[in-house]
Amino acid sequence: MSIMKAFKLENEPKIASGFKTPEHYFDHFSAKVLQQFPENEPIVISIFQKRKMVIMMVAALLILALMIPIYISISTNLKELDETTLENYLAYQTNLNQYDLVSELETKDISKMQPVSSTEDKVIEDILAADSDIEHLLTE
Amino acid sequence: MQEEQEFIKKLLNPKTQNEAFKELLRDYQRPLYNHIRNIVLNHDDADDVLQNTFVKVFQYLKNFKGESKLFSWMYRIATNEALTFLNQKSKINGISSEELQNKTIDNLQADVFFDGNEIQLKLHKAIAILPEKQQLVFKMKYFEELKYETISEILGTSVGALKASYHHAVKKIEAFVTAN
Repeated sequence: MSIMKAFKLENEPKIASGFKTPEHYFDHFSAKVLQQFPENEPIVISIFQKRKMVIMMVAALLILALMIPIYISISTNLKELDETTLENYLAYQTNLNQYDLVSELETKDISKMQPVSSTEDKVIEDILAADSDIEHLLTE
Repeated sequence: MQEEQEFIKKLLNPKTQNEAFKELLRDYQRPLYNHIRNIVLNHDDADDVLQNTFVKVFQYLKNFKGESKLFSWMYRIATNEALTFLNQKSKINGISSEELQNKTIDNLQADVFFDGNEIQLKLHKAIAILPEKQQLVFKMKYFEELKYETISEILGTSVGALKASYHHAVKKIEAFVTAN
């Protein structure tokens, strides 16, 4: 009775795959692959992709250009008229005279416009005492 | 790694692309052919798949992110191309992938581009009984003598899982050869 010997891969000499290639197969393989590409064809990058950056830059500039008038109008509306401009306008650019202006004022505004400095009575008396001409003019 | 980065730049630069691609073909055609041939078994099929692989490599080069080595990335493309080719071929012939593989192995004896002896033929028959992943691991480790780390990068499987896979594959092959 024969005992079948167990096959052990590690005990065997290295077993090759046994595959062969036709003679000079690898000498011609490169040429065969390169023939499949059009000569000197670079890796294709679509026109859109290539111009994408330029298109985006132009779009950004257009948006900025469109925003300039909006920005200007917003900034103009927000700015308050300064007093000198208003005074000059009222003085030289309109037909308003001082009576028209006074009629537009309220009593409260007018009272605010009274001279702030008041002359002391004693000072007036001193001036009148010192200057005889004024006394003469007042009596007349 | 620095050299590889420089080489990838050359491949992407239209001015240096042609020369770099020729270099790529020169360096990788043999290992990739062997890898593909071990999967599809037949020379004509291996030739078709190898050409498709290099065409795909050229097409997708601009998408290569350098996360893995160029070598591993190309092996991955070659593996996918070979497996896709076999699936399509079995569909066209109306048979399963296993049936197609067994049929191809039966034809090996008459193949002028196969000069294997009895034990070599038996080894191919034994490999055919393995699940697809184990077949890949065994062929890459035993025939192509790739390191587990490299196989791990190509197949996206951990080294530990690959070692276990190889161990199971060897046991099944040994049992098959002993029994036949």
